[in-house]
Amino acid sequence: MRILSYVGTYAFPVILLGVPLYAASKGVKVYETFVKGAEEGFKIALGTLPYLVAVFAAISCFRGSGALDLFASSLGSVLTPLGVPLDMVPLLLIRPVSGSGALALTGDLLRRYGPDSSMGILASILQGATDTTFYVVTLYFGSVREKRTGQVLASCLIGDACGFLAGFLVWRLIAA
Amino acid sequence: MNFVWMFLLSTGCVVAVLTGNVDAMMTSVLDGISAAVELVIGLIGVFCLWVGIERLAEESGLIDVLARMAGPVFSKLFPGLKEKHRPLGTVTASVMSNVLGLSSSTPLGLKAMSEMKELFGERREGLDSMARLVILNAAGFCIFPSGVIALRAALGSRAPAIIAGPTAVAGLAATAGGLLAYHWLSRSRRPGDGR
Repeated sequence: MRILSYVGTYAFPVILLGVPLYAASKGVKVYETFVKGAEEGFKIALGTLPYLVAVFAAISCFRGSGALDLFASSLGSVLTPLGVPLDMVPLLLIRPVSGSGALALTGDLLRRYGPDSSMGILASILQGATDTTFYVVTLYFGSVREKRTGQVLASCLIGDACGFLAGFLVWRLIAA
Repeated sequence: MNFVWMFLLSTGCVVAVLTGNVDAMMTSVLDGISAAVELVIGLIGVFCLWVGIERLAEESGLIDVLARMAGPVFSKLFPGLKEKHRPLGTVTASVMSNVLGLSSSTPLGLKAMSEMKELFGERREGLDSMARLVILNAAGFCIFPSGVIALRAALGSRAPAIIAGPTAVAGLAATAGGLLAYHWLSRSRRPGDGR
């Protein structure tokens, strides 16, 4: 585990220095080339704004109205008989939809139960099981103005469900 | 996406009116769109940095090296990108960044998307390759989920990294499930379905 955390820490400086050094050794004009790329990165980032506003508006509307909580309670009545703790159900719904929302909810669960408690472990696993699907799909497809997103979105959500299920099963094995 | 968007908006508005939550809903929407703008502003710097570095890797031939290294594994997942070093190398760099938990994952991913769009236009194989990249990065399989671990450590966990193994299993399942689901869905449904 130590080694993995070192890889995570040192990959950044190694790439940040290594790539320009390699390019310089190949005779690339590093500064001008970097700036040209940065300009493209700037355009890509700005181009995603309309798509993100559209999706964030719809998701905030759904959350702020209380519709998400209604969904969570009805999903909870299906999932709790299967052994999923009721407090985890909102996390399952928010995780694919809102990154900051899920992080806040996980933080809340960890604080309430303690990070090393059985519930804290489950919340941590579910939080790490997948990324914010709606955000990734919107950002990636929005940046190339691609509208055929239906199948991909559905696939990613099915994937999220598989990830949650696997996380839950592993948790049952080790902590419950 | 059209369906999901309309569903979220209409359910949200109807529930808000029925439960008298209109004010809360409105505040939430306004906060949400400001959050989108703040997010993009935050992304600009990271995007400039990593797409700049990627351009260096591209012009120096490092992307080709990466594409050749990843070829045996990734040409199975991205059949359309075989022998096409430019998107393949960038795709590899993005997925590897994601696995390592680096901030370069999204900028490189979007760069790869624009390269694939340029290469394939509206062709179906382009959509399939883009879809697979999105599925890989949306599942976010990561060998060291530094965000959750940092949160656990900050809240006083005695073993913050203990969840890395289970999380990796869950991430693998999410990736495999997403890829399999896409495989089935893209066979059974007509291409170009706008939903």
